[in-house]
Amino acid sequence: MLYALGKSLGSEEGFAEVKACLTSPLAKFVAWGLLSALLYHLVAGVRHLIMDMGIGETLEGGKLGSKIVIAVSVVIIVLAGVWIW
Amino acid sequence: MVTNVTNLSRSGLYDWMAQRVSAVVLAAYFIFLIGYLVANPGMGYAQWHALFANNGMRIFSLLALVALGAHAWVGMWTISTDYLTPMALGKSATAVRFLFQAVCGVAMFAYFVWGVQILWGI
Repeated sequence: MLYALGKSLGSEEGFAEVKACLTSPLAKFVAWGLLSALLYHLVAGVRHLIMDMGIGETLEGGKLGSKIVIAVSVVIIVLAGVWIW
Repeated sequence: MVTNVTNLSRSGLYDWMAQRVSAVVLAAYFIFLIGYLVANPGMGYAQWHALFANNGMRIFSLLALVALGAHAWVGMWTISTDYLTPMALGKSATAVRFLFQAVCGVAMFAYFVWGVQILWGI
């Protein structure tokens, strides 16, 4: 990803090259996969911060929180897929 | 008290804080970047280049890069000390764990230097 960033910022041709590469279905799928991992990590991390504040620290709260994380992540990941394609 | 020599700050509490602070920085950075990309569909090279050439964005990017290194180190250290243990791996655990941590450390350092080169190069 740093390689893509470096290439896309290095020159106009590099930018076009990266853009062209990212239009292929396989590249889009990989980008979606990486983005999904980041988004899930982000949502689960926000849950950690909320639990650090002492919210949802009971057994029931923990179970509910994990379900919310999965639900929110699925919605955002689907939205990310829609955005990419 | 944490007595393991390989943790980031020799203090579990400080590591805990570093992990959370870096997490908030990374969240802000990626939400901003993804928001910017969503708000500007079909962006050209000039705008993309101008974004990263902006001084504020350079500082933000560099901050995110430092935060990524710290966040990844605390995370990988936690995983390696939780799972790469003598209970799981027997006598070679210390060597395996140290090697794993060394690879992680080199990777983070390399990413940092590479990222600085990209940001400074434009």
